Amino acid sequence: MNAPAFADDMQLLNGNHAVAWGVRLAGPDVAPLYPITPQTPILEKLIEFQSSGAFQAELLTPESEHSAMAAAIAASATGARVFTATSSQGLLLMHELLHFASGARTPIVMFNVNRTPASPWGFWPDQIDSLSQRDTGWVQLYSENPQDSLDSVIQAFRIAEATNLPVMINHDAFYVSHSVEPVSLPSPEAVTDFLPRQARDIQLGDGSGRSLGAPIDQASWNRTRRDLDEAMKTVEQFAIDASQVWEKQTGRASAPLEFYRYHDAEIVFVTMGSMCGTAREAIDRLRTSGIKAGLLKVRLFRPLPNEALRDALRGAQHAIVLDRNYSPGTGGVLHQELRSVLFGTQDPPRLHGYLAGVGGLSVPEERLEALATEVRDTVPAANSLWLE
Amino acid sequence: MKDIRTPLWTHLTSEPRKTGTWRSALPLYQNESSPCLDACPVSGRVAEWIKQVKDGDLRGAWETLSDNNPFPAIAGRICHHPCEIACNRRDHDETVGICSLERFVGDMALDQGWQFPLPTKERTQSIAVVGSGPAGLSGAYQLRRLGFQVSLYELKEELGGLMRYGIPSYRLARDVLDGEINRIIAMNVTLHTRHDVTDASGLRDLQSKHDAVFLATGASRPKPLPGLDYTQPWVVDSAIFLAATPNDQAQMTGAHVLVIGGGSAAMDVARSARRLGRKVTVLSLEAEGQLPAQEVEVVEAREESVLFVSGAMLQQAASADGVVEAGCTRVEFVPGGTPGSFSVAPIQGSDFTLMVDTIIPAIGQDADLDRWAQLLDPDGPVISTDGNWQTSRKGVFAGGDLASMTRFVTEAVGMGKDAAHAITATLDRDCAALTPPAQAFVGNDRINTAYQADHARSTQPVVPASTRLKSFDEVQQPLTQDQAHQEASRCFSCGTCIYCDNCYFYCPDMAITKLENGYSVDPDYCKGCGLCVAECPTGSIHMQEDELT
Amino acid sequence: MEKIEYTDEGQFFSGHVACAGCVEALSMRVILNTLGKDTVGVVAPSCSAVILGGHPMSAAKIPVLHGTLESAAASASGVKRALKAQGRDDTTVLCLAGDGGTYDIGLQALSSAAERNEDILYVCFDNEGYMNTGGQKSSSTPRNAATGSTPFGKTTRKKNLIEILAAHRIPYIATVSPSHLNDMAAKIAKAQTIEGTKVVIVLIPCLPGWGVADNDAVATARLGVESGVFPLFEIEDGVRYTMTKSDKSDAINGYLKKQKRYRHLTEADRADLQAEVDETWSRLLAQAETTV
Repeated sequence: MNAPAFADDMQLLNGNHAVAWGVRLAGPDVAPLYPITPQTPILEKLIEFQSSGAFQAELLTPESEHSAMAAAIAASATGARVFTATSSQGLLLMHELLHFASGARTPIVMFNVNRTPASPWGFWPDQIDSLSQRDTGWVQLYSENPQDSLDSVIQAFRIAEATNLPVMINHDAFYVSHSVEPVSLPSPEAVTDFLPRQARDIQLGDGSGRSLGAPIDQASWNRTRRDLDEAMKTVEQFAIDASQVWEKQTGRASAPLEFYRYHDAEIVFVTMGSMCGTAREAIDRLRTSGIKAGLLKVRLFRPLPNEALRDALRGAQHAIVLDRNYSPGTGGVLHQELRSVLFGTQDPPRLHGYLAGVGGLSVPEERLEALATEVRDTVPAANSLWLE
Repeated sequence: MKDIRTPLWTHLTSEPRKTGTWRSALPLYQNESSPCLDACPVSGRVAEWIKQVKDGDLRGAWETLSDNNPFPAIAGRICHHPCEIACNRRDHDETVGICSLERFVGDMALDQGWQFPLPTKERTQSIAVVGSGPAGLSGAYQLRRLGFQVSLYELKEELGGLMRYGIPSYRLARDVLDGEINRIIAMNVTLHTRHDVTDASGLRDLQSKHDAVFLATGASRPKPLPGLDYTQPWVVDSAIFLAATPNDQAQMTGAHVLVIGGGSAAMDVARSARRLGRKVTVLSLEAEGQLPAQEVEVVEAREESVLFVSGAMLQQAASADGVVEAGCTRVEFVPGGTPGSFSVAPIQGSDFTLMVDTIIPAIGQDADLDRWAQLLDPDGPVISTDGNWQTSRKGVFAGGDLASMTRFVTEAVGMGKDAAHAITATLDRDCAALTPPAQAFVGNDRINTAYQADHARSTQPVVPASTRLKSFDEVQQPLTQDQAHQEASRCFSCGTCIYCDNCYFYCPDMAITKLENGYSVDPDYCKGCGLCVAECPTGSIHMQEDELT
Repeated sequence: MEKIEYTDEGQFFSGHVACAGCVEALSMRVILNTLGKDTVGVVAPSCSAVILGGHPMSAAKIPVLHGTLESAAASASGVKRALKAQGRDDTTVLCLAGDGGTYDIGLQALSSAAERNEDILYVCFDNEGYMNTGGQKSSSTPRNAATGSTPFGKTTRKKNLIEILAAHRIPYIATVSPSHLNDMAAKIAKAQTIEGTKVVIVLIPCLPGWGVADNDAVATARLGVESGVFPLFEIEDGVRYTMTKSDKSDAINGYLKKQKRYRHLTEADRADLQAEVDETWSRLLAQAETTV
């Protein structure tokens, strides 16, 4: 296991409770929340915190995720620090408002627990719910474990408020959301230092009488998207800065891209979320067998750190992309993204896309270990392949 | 510097967007004529003074009234009130009691002793006014207001003409009559009473002394009733009867008086005779309900037990054994096209006889044209005048019953006013004669009655018949202050802005600005929807098409 | 006559793009000026959004968030909670939506806000259809009214939203009409003093949507009130009914005749509508009478 050793500042927390702790420490003003499996423990824990007086946010419990997001946007436009959480169907119900939130430049932080969307009904880890929202203008972070989730929540507020962009953090249903691990809790003072309260330049009701979202002409709408584009381009650097400051304060880095046994790796696994843990186990086994394997963990999926990915993959011979998602007609979303990242580069690694664990199937580390051997003599398929 | 961190905040007001360009018509504030004003013989600005009453400005109301009529207390009592008949409020609940309000204001002025101001500019020219009835006094008053020196010639000792010698005091109290006449004389009118201008030389004499002459000698000759011997002692002329004192009237009449006629004079005779304790029968050509007298006069006469025999005429009368046998017959009565004209057809076999003691014919009087025969052209029964009341002789004007068959006191007042302005126009090129009021007036369709609560008319208290028969005191009693205010509030103010602000508040575009006394429309923003016009309770705004540019 | 008495403090600007003669703009003028400057608005896509908006200009002096159609009440809740978190409990949050955004797509969010008793003032401009999209039926469209999607007249009743709202037992519900501006201002002012969810429904005769002349919307609304088609009343805590106007005229014909959307009606149709109005009215009166 890659979990840290237990220390005094640690509690045993499942992923969702780690998120709730992160939220409690970040101290949003308003938190509209709607229950959905497997996100509900986040909601319950926050309400428990609020009931005990440890957490002072205005909690709204509206009738739907759609209204939760509408309230979140409105509260954020009015200057509040806002958090919400959801999963799967709930995220999909919000879809319209995800576009709205980024267009309105509301720095909301949302936690999404990745879960299979219906139909048929399932409650299992799968990232297609959030990946299918990649065009909505949200910053997307993918967390590997409870500690990562806590750290990501706090960093997300910093990134959101620096860019006025909404940030969505994702972790896998059950594998992370309900897995208990020792989690190091930063001190409230450290979080306050990391996330200083800054007045918004303009906010709804600030006395300037300014309105937001009024009907607009083509050129002005176009301008909003150019501004969004410019803002998106700054996210990666803000994420790096956040990671570095956070590392100074806590000793834990959480950069846009993270690496494991990577510097001399010839075969690299590229994946997101809890699959990274399985990959680490497989890499350890492969290294024992003398195979130079390594992990490229994509933590920041939107905006995708294109240049950093190109740099990271330069020199690798094989890149195995593990997608715990399936985009019909395309295959794995990360696979597709990396193909476009690598297109036109000199001597790119052979890119092998696998649909691994779609629908929450367990992927044993032995299977990944075997996969590393298989790809050495395989011409990569154009499409993603279902991992048998 | 471009700030990519913020969304597009909307920061301007919509005022730079001039939505007035959408418009094809703009509201125009314009006070317009009303049915009451259109009908008013003196063109009195009814809505205006009633609003002043409503606002508690009684002095202002009196001044507005007095612009056109120096007799509000008199007119408020005896005017035939065509204004009320025309009132737009009729279709809503009941017409506004304009006369009772006018009386209220007139009485207040007398009570307070308000006087007419002297003209600010005196003219040297002098005008002779002949006759001190309503037309003559109105003319004298207006001429003084216009600054002329006025000499008033009156045959009788006292002023007032018909108002004094033809209208009984129970309809028009003498202190009221005196008060309103004295107020005119106090404007430095030179009086020549007991002065008769009997003939052409007398008129020439007046013309030599004055710059113009206004003849208003009225209609003093009784119309003869065919088949009636006026030399009989039991035949009494109505004009003589009405001019007499009650004692003299008692001397002239027996126990049962037959009054012939259906107009106001007939009612006045009948009701006066009732006050003398006589039994009274009124015989009229007109059928019941068609009597030319005012309805209230007929109603009050009935209350006073006057008997009516309608749709019949006297054929002959003769005295036998101290009783007068009046032979009558039923008739078909058809009114004619002009005032006073009619035709009758006796109904065969409907003869009947009334046994009476005295017969008083009250079928109207004619003007005495004979004495001007060589100087002034007649026009049928009246003196001929042009559109500006000038007779065929330059510098001689005529008005009232002498020049018109429209025989109402207030009509005469109006003629006096118009003639005064016409005289001014002939003597002073800078002054125009009064233009007749616009034909168009604000009809019911332009009144938004949604803003008018239903409220019954406040009626004047009336002395009970049993009491009023004991004296010649006034029958109609005045409104109280509260009643007057309430009644004034019922006025729709047709065509006259009441500054209610509806136009301002109903504008969806904030294009109307309230001014000190009125409103202005901002053409930059008015979209021309017309809501202000639709919601105007008085019809004093209308839409005017924008001119194409 | 009764004078209109509210004060225009310049909270609603000229230059807005409402149709000439639009009484939604007129009502907005009354509402914005009555509430005053310490107000934040949320507006659902609707004619209101068009009237107020048109970046970079706004017809409202107050700040307005242009939200989504189905979530106006939720958005208003979010604004209110953010203000609360900033200690600005006294700032009024005004939500403006049409009947589509209220009776139909926004009902879920409104119901939830009402259930949570969010401290917002929700104003529904009820023009009985999707008029901003050219005039299609909504669940607020009355029986027999012709719209783009019910060319031969709607076959079902208008949804009784007021009873739905009353069932939520929110502190205040009122109906107002642009023909009764003093009443509108008074009810808005009263609603502003009440904590919790307040809903005010404004009858808006839509000039193009109903086929009403440019200068006739106020008169049409007045006939709607006077004939009992649109009764003016208040409901407090969902149970206490007070009639603002407790009498009605006998006939709705005058109201119907003003509107082209009803011109295809037969005598039988009119009688049906009259019966519907009479029945609703007597139920309403009975509820008002049982309120002590």
